[in-house]
This record gives sequence, structure tokens and C-alpha cells, in this order.
Amino acid sequence: MARGESAAKRRARGERAAALIAGYRPLAGAADELIDLSGTVRPHWGRFVETLAGLGVDEVARRFQTADRHLRDSGVVFRAYDGEGGAERPWPLSHVPVLIGPEEWRHLEAGLVQRAELMDAILADAYGEGKLPATGALPAAVIAGSEEYLRPLVGAKPIGGHHLRIYAADVGRGPDGRWWVISDRAQAPSGAGYALENRLALSRALPEIYRGFHVERLAGFFQAFRGGLNALNRHDTRVALLTPGPLNETYFEHAYLARYLGFVLVEGDDLTVRDDAVYLRTISGLRPIDVILRRLDSDFADPLELNPSSKLGVPGLARAVRNRQVAIANALGSGLVESKALLGFLPALARRILGRDLILPNVATWWCGQTLERDHVIENLDRMVIAPALGARVAGVLDRGPVLGADLGEAARAKLVAAIGTRGTDFVGQEVVRLSTTPVWHDGRLVPRPCILRLYVARTESGWKVMPGGFCRISEREDARAVTLQQGGASADVWVLSDKPVAETTLIPSPDEVALRRLTANLPSRAAENLFWLGRYVERTETTLRLARAIAARIADEENERRAIRPLMDMLWPAREDDPEREAIRAAPDRAVRAILSRGGDFGGVPALATWARRAASVIRDRLSPDAWRVIADLEAQAARPLRATTEVEIIERIENSLRLVAAFSGLVQENMVRHNGWRFLDLGRRIERGIAVATATRFLGGPEARGGRLEALLELADSQIVYRIRYEIAPAAVPVTDLVLLDPGNPRSLAFQAERIRASLENLPGHAPNGMPAGADRIATLLSAELATADAARLDAAAMLSYERRLMQISDEIALVYFTHRRPAPPLGDETV
Amino acid sequence: MLYDVRLVSRYRYEGGVLFARQVLHQLPVDRPGQRVIAAELTIEPQPTERRDEADFFGNRITAIAIAFPHDRLTLEMRARIAVEPRPPPVPGLTPAWEVIRRAAVAETSLGPRSPAHYLWASRAVPLEPAIADYVAESFTPGRPVLEAGLDLTKRIKRDFTYDPAATDVTTRPIVSFEQRAGVCQDFAHVMISGLRALGLPAIYVSGFLRTEPPPGRPRLEGADATHAWVALWCGREAGWIGLDPTNGVAAGEDHLVLAIGRDYADAAPADGVIVTAGGHSLDVAVDVVPIRK
Repeated sequence: MARGESAAKRRARGERAAALIAGYRPLAGAADELIDLSGTVRPHWGRFVETLAGLGVDEVARRFQTADRHLRDSGVVFRAYDGEGGAERPWPLSHVPVLIGPEEWRHLEAGLVQRAELMDAILADAYGEGKLPATGALPAAVIAGSEEYLRPLVGAKPIGGHHLRIYAADVGRGPDGRWWVISDRAQAPSGAGYALENRLALSRALPEIYRGFHVERLAGFFQAFRGGLNALNRHDTRVALLTPGPLNETYFEHAYLARYLGFVLVEGDDLTVRDDAVYLRTISGLRPIDVILRRLDSDFADPLELNPSSKLGVPGLARAVRNRQVAIANALGSGLVESKALLGFLPALARRILGRDLILPNVATWWCGQTLERDHVIENLDRMVIAPALGARVAGVLDRGPVLGADLGEAARAKLVAAIGTRGTDFVGQEVVRLSTTPVWHDGRLVPRPCILRLYVARTESGWKVMPGGFCRISEREDARAVTLQQGGASADVWVLSDKPVAETTLIPSPDEVALRRLTANLPSRAAENLFWLGRYVERTETTLRLARAIAARIADEENERRAIRPLMDMLWPAREDDPEREAIRAAPDRAVRAILSRGGDFGGVPALATWARRAASVIRDRLSPDAWRVIADLEAQAARPLRATTEVEIIERIENSLRLVAAFSGLVQENMVRHNGWRFLDLGRRIERGIAVATATRFLGGPEARGGRLEALLELADSQIVYRIRYEIAPAAVPVTDLVLLDPGNPRSLAFQAERIRASLENLPGHAPNGMPAGADRIATLLSAELATADAARLDAAAMLSYERRLMQISDEIALVYFTHRRPAPPLGDETV
Repeated sequence: MLYDVRLVSRYRYEGGVLFARQVLHQLPVDRPGQRVIAAELTIEPQPTERRDEADFFGNRITAIAIAFPHDRLTLEMRARIAVEPRPPPVPGLTPAWEVIRRAAVAETSLGPRSPAHYLWASRAVPLEPAIADYVAESFTPGRPVLEAGLDLTKRIKRDFTYDPAATDVTTRPIVSFEQRAGVCQDFAHVMISGLRALGLPAIYVSGFLRTEPPPGRPRLEGADATHAWVALWCGREAGWIGLDPTNGVAAGEDHLVLAIGRDYADAAPADGVIVTAGGHSLDVAVDVVPIRK
């Protein structure tokens, strides 16, 4: 509370705070975060509500919109599997953070570390000596029955000695006010990256509140986690973050974390196993990988020894693990401890393994593989959740996961009871959990909604470290029984409050830890390929937009000017006899322009090009700045908007808006991207595409016979009118125009300029001139550049243009062959260049 | 009985193969009732990488990589194997099947022969209610487990038609069950699916049958290629008992074990990832010749 405030002001603030929570009533039978069991507002929450009230309702709403905008602008999305393929959805942030006081946090922290330790010990035993089943502490069936008990990994000792390196638990506050563990996440816990984004968005929207509350920072946790993984590297190499790819629901997070942690984002195809060791395919050949942070489910990680139908994995990876050539976090098969059947045994296992009781209790669970427990569950079916014991579903009985006993009809109930009687091993009964509610901002006041927290623990060089914060999911409904994000919940930031001011940490290491490096790590072939195609698609979008603008601008012109429309139309829409619709469109320039601006498919329309550009970009999101990504996403969004413009002027305006986005992208790439191999591939893609476009345009519009309107159009397409006018002060004439757009090495739009840039980029790529002589793409580019440097504009005809176009396409093919498909022999292994 | 075994598999790849990585189950190992005196596997062309090791189930596996273009692959395994089956338990004196079901769940070992591994749906063997109902007819309340198991073995032999054209290597058990036709692998999968659905542990066994029967006995079905059958756990005392639903008999001294697992996917003679443009053909020849009694 600010000093020197008058009593009246304080009173007014108190009243506003009271108004915010007027009518706030926790649900019956559930605890609440804002109000404790005795009905009083928890002190830190009281202070928070007062601060919010101090801002005023309108200002709070405005601030929350700022946070939403930040998330949208950062491109934070998740993918929902709600039908065909699933769509990317904007990230739903519930703006009010969940506040956890220091004392309560210390309890949660201790409970999480204890649980991570316990889970790791169980994994070590299940994949090792098997003492727990042998001594009767845990039935062998609870281990062997899990779909995640991966037999090829039995006996494999993980590098670094531990199966778990990151573990998460979903916890909820029960009606008794205590925190309970609802479920465990050991496979590949998701959400930590989203938690970071939530924090960023909220701390920017509420800077003064955030600073005023001593909120524990998150960066230190990630720094320590990263340090723990980096310590396992044996070569001078980066940790690989293995993702299932852009179609995965949390791909955004994979790309985000890879960038944030400085890991290389890879898909299965990017890796290969040779002589039991793992390598990354890069444009400089194979490079060793020692550590993999895995976001791909274990079963899919190796089609050779695990799921043979997986196309996402790396054949031979399990062998590499067994031979201790690679560390995987978490180890393959760690998902074993997510089994619900395990929950019933954990209290006893904690006492046995750790010598003390569980600090955080978990939901009471009865495994129906045991006679007494099974009978108990069947007798109390109405008060229980029946869940699959050892996997995500039980075929034919629990096809869609857990059910509430009380919700079952008579037939379903009889069927379930019979199934439990025959194969009790497949089922657990669990008590029904009622989650606590937390305040959510709704139309200018706070209302209670059920919430569940995901908390993270990482193994670091100095032991387990808990992320001081978390990922909170909030249900939109008032039913406090279950939440999942897929069902349309929102997420919230979790503020862990410290009793003293917190130290600022960032992921930037202190200077003495860093060895200077000018070169960036090796570029994976897949990344190179997508950068290259991103360049080509963006450039082709630009070319197409310019062409459409040139046509649109001439439709209303005098007869004389209109003469250029025909060749422009021929470029935009090459004749194809087999397509009557095409011919109809070709006959009507205004229709053609509209079609190219609004249609996708094989028409090569702007919307399709922009989508392809965005798709290529989405695979390499970890390599693009958020600004560059946003421009590409905007370009696609703008192209996809229905074309309502009626006049040529409106159409041209729309084209120019899109051109401005392309220009913004070019600017960001030129000014902000380090000139290393990634940039080179992007630039190569653009230069090749631009070179082809200029040669094509000259073929259609230039040549010794061309004059007037055609040459004007050519200058316009090559964006060279101004320089022409300054230089020649005459109406366009064939030879000077050809010289300017094709041969002038100083004109950044000329073919000669593109050829020289292509040559220079290729010269700087690895594998250049293997025997001291330029080969492949390099050789073609060197010859082309030399030829253009000495050519005479008066002698260049259509055949010359075709030859330029053909050679640029050859360069593209050669680049693909050498750098993307790995058909050339790889350089010797261990040839280490960073 | 002492046998000389020869297994030759010839793969031809129409479009050629650029790169192959395979896991082979081609070499037999010692097992209860079976001793491998000598065994070797030759591979043509010579693989770029070859590793011989044991898998989880105790099978010998050969992991190979061929990192150059090839259009054929020949695997030739030769072995001398002594089969000395233990006398089988008296079926009527084995424990009731419900007792076995409880004992399997309470099992404390995680070793490869522990029944705990063989109670569950596996990749190639989902649990199907229809198959469970069929199998349950043999498992009346309180019936000794092996007696019921043998009854089921004979019923499958009686009810199903041996027809190589009816199924292929990827056919799901329910499909073979519904058409009551298939080959040894299908019958084994159907039987395993039903047994597990009742909560009983069942192993998939791949192996060989002696090629020519002893005088006076009929030639067994499945002797021309690798064979497959089932092992049913009958309690700690009796252990795993081989049941051959293709021939309606318990496995005896004519049955030689090559590999075991939860289903075909665990014991496949060859499985892997190949980079190829076309299909392939496979020609398998098996000789199992008794040397002496």
C-alpha cells in the first residue's frame, strides 16, 4: 500500500477491491485458492485483489488484452485434435495468476523432489535388478503389464545414472485444503515452455504488480536443467531436442524451448545411427549427438526394436542407448511410472525405498489385480472413478479413458463389473477428486473456476531443482472433477511468492562460462532445406504479387499501355490446352488478377504460396526470430482473407499491403540474421527464384524488338524504373533496359547480381570445391556469373533467357542433392568443425 | 532326439534396396528340453554391421545393417539340436485355471519366463471379446488348466481350416478367427488372444517341425516352413507347456524352438527398416532331419 495515502483513498480502494470479489462464492465441497477453509481471504491474495482494484476495472481489462496480444504476436499456439488433422489454436491465457505463498511452496517443493526420487528409483529397479517385485513390494504384473515397459531397454544403464531428468506432477488442492498428486508425468512432460510464455506475457502486462510481489523467477530453473544435460555431452556438440514434428499438439513449445535452451530441434529423420552411435545429418555431413531431450513418446523412438509402424523414430536408437552411446532425457521407457496401478503401492514403496512417508499424498487408488482391492472397488463403484490401470485405455471397456462409476447406466455397469471380474489387472478404482477453484477474470469481476497445477522437477548438476512456478490449467465449467486442456480449458501463470526480494536471473550465462564462438553450430539438413524453400516461396510470392499489380494497373489504361497485358498474362497464366477454365480466365485480365490473389491449389495463387512459405517456416521456427515468423504468419493470414475489393485501386492496395509484408521479411532477414549457413540457404532460395523470375520476365517482355509499354512493364517487374530514369533520361529502349535488369552487377534486382550472390554463398558452404575445383552447383554458378559479367546486352535473345532459367533450376537441384538428401558420400566422421 | 536343421531364406527386392537395418531371429538357443550343440548363420551379402546378442526373451538376435545397394539377401542357418522333452504333467492333475490366473498376477519375477509378461494384449494380439467367448467354452469353472488347454488346442484344429491363401503375415487374429482359417501363426495368435483375455499367460513360440514323420505317423502341417505354436503357463511346478493348435497336439520331441515372445512381432525371423522403391519376394526352405534317437 502506497505511503502517504489518505484514509479516504484507502477506503475507496478497499471498496473497489470488495466489488471485484463481491459474489465470489467457492463451489460447495471444494476448496478455493482465494478464500481459505475458514472463509477468509488468504493474505497474499487480498493484497493482489487490492492492487488489481487500484488499477481500476477498465485498466485491468486493457492490461489483460495486452497480454493476449503479446501471446498472439509471439505466435503461441497449440494444436487441438478435434477432427481432421487438428487446427492450431491461439493460446488461451486466464489472466489472473495462481498465487502460492512461501510456506506452502516449500511443502510442495519437498513433496515433488521426494516423488521424483521415488519414481527414479522405481524405474531403476524395473529396468534393473527387479528387487521390488522379487521381495513382493510391487507385483511384477504392475511393471510387466505397462505398455511403457519397454523390454529392449531392460538392463540398459542410462548415461549419468538416472532414468528421469525431468519429472512433472499434476497436483490439486483437495476439499481438506491439502495438496494431492493427481497424476505423474515422466514420459516427456509438456507445458514448461508454455509456462514461460505465460510468465512473459503476464509480467509485461502487470509489471508493477509483478515486481511488487517478490515472484520467484523461472530462468534459473531452465538454466540448471540445461546445465545438467550439457554436462552429459562428451563431444563438442549440442543437445538435440527430438520432436514428433509440426503436427504435434505442442510443437510450438518444442521449437520455443529449443530456441530458449540453445538446443538443436530435430525430427527422427534428422538423426541416424552408425556403429551404435547417434549422428545428426547436417549440411556438413554427420555430426555426433550425445544427448537427446525427448518429446517423442518412447514407443515411437525406434521402429527397429520398438513400434515398427513408427515413422517418427530413429532405427537403432535403442541399441545406441544399450551401448551407452547416447543419453536420452527422459530415458526410453520412463513412461512406465505414469501407470495408475502404481499409485496404490506408492505409500508403501516410499517407506521402503526412502524410509519415510509420502510428503504429498496421491489420490487413493485400488488396483483390481488384487482380490481384496478388486472386491472393494466393485462394492463401492458408485463412489469411484474407474480408470485404465496400465495404459490410456482398455479396449472394448474403457475406450475413452476413465469413467465415473456413478454415471454408468445399468448395462454399462454390468459390463464393467464383469470385465473387472475377468481381467481385474486392467483396472483401478480411484476416489473422485474435487479440485479447488481459483479466481478467473470474467466481465470485470472475479469468479471461481476449478484448477489443476502442473509442477516440474529437473535433475541438475547439484541435485533436483523444482521450477518455482508452474503450468496451471483452468476449467471453463464449474464441475470441479476433471480438466484437460484439449477440452477447451485455459491456462494460467503460477506465482510462487518469496518472503524476500528475488534475484534476477536470465538464461544468459555469466561471462566467465562462455567460450567465444563466431560460428553457429551445424545446420541440420532438414532445417537447411526448409530455409531454402522458405526463401523460394517468399520470393515467388513477391514475383506473383508484382505481376498481378502490373496487370491490375494496366486494365484501365489507354490502348497503348494495354499492349503489355498480353505478355504479362502469358507469364502469370501460361497457356494450357487441357484446361478450359484457365482459357476463360486468361481472356479476362481482371478475373485473372482476382483468381491469382484468392485461389490456392495448382493455380500457384498467392494464398497457396503464402501457405507453403508458412509451412516451411513452421518447421524451422526455432531458427526464425519471432518478428520474422509473425510477418510470415501475417502474410498467410492476409492472403487467406476473402477478396472483397471491387475496384482496381482496392485490389492494388491489397497487393501492396502484401508486398510490404514481404519487404518487412526481407528487411528482417537482411538486418537481423547472422550470416551463417542458415541465412545462406534462405538467401540461395530467394536468389535462385528471383534470377529465374528476371530471366522469364525478360524473355516475355524484353528482346531486341521490344519497346514502350513492354519495357516499362519489365522495368516495373524488376523494380528498376527509378534507376533507369535517373541513368538514361530517355524512354525505355531495349538494350539499356536489358543491360540494367540482366547484366548490371550493381543492380540488386539484376540476374548478374543474383548469380554472383549465389556463387558467393555456395563458395562459403561446407563441401565447397572438394578437390580444389568447383563442382556441381558451384561450377554452374561460377560459369553463369562469369558469362553474365562478360555478356553483351544487344545479343541476348529468348534462347539465352531459357538457358539462364534452366541453369538456375539445375543449381537448385544440385543443392538439394548434395545438402538435403545426403546422396554424396559423407565426410569422414569426427571431422569436427563447429 | 538329435536333429540337423537348415533354414534358408532368400529375399529378392524388385526395386533394389539402398539401405537396410534388420533384426534377425535366426539362431536357436538352449531351452528347457532343448540343447543347441552348434549353430551358425551366414548372411549374403556381407553386412556392413553385424552384432550377435540376446534379446529380452533370451532369444539370440542378429542385428545387421547393409549400407550399400543390394537386390537380394540370403540368410542360411545351420544347427545341430538335441530335443529331450521332459515328461509332460498329467493334464487332469494340473491346478484349476482360476488358480493359475491368480498365481500369474501374484508372480514376483520379472525374468523373461515370468508369466507376468504374457498376460496382456500385445502389438499383434489384441484381446477380442468374440475370441474370449470361444476360448471360454473350454475353460469351465474349476477345470484343470492343461486339460482345458489341450481341449482348446484340439478344438482349434477341428474348427479351423489350414489355408495359406486365407491370411498373410499381418492378418489380425479376429480376421482369422471370423473366417476360421489361416496358418500356424494365425492359430497361435487366436489361441493366445483368447487365453490372455481370460487372464491366462500365453507365449508365442516360433520354431521348426521335423520334416518327415517317424514311420507310421502322419506328416505334421507346417513342416515346410518355420512353424508357430503356443506355450501355456500351468503354474510354477509344471511351467510352460507347448500346445500346437495347428496340429491339435501338445508340443513334443518333434517341435524345435527357434524364438519366443509375446507374439509374432517379438520373434519374427527377420524384421527391419529398408529403404527401397519396390516390393520383395521371400523364399524359405527348412530341413529338419533326425540324426539319431
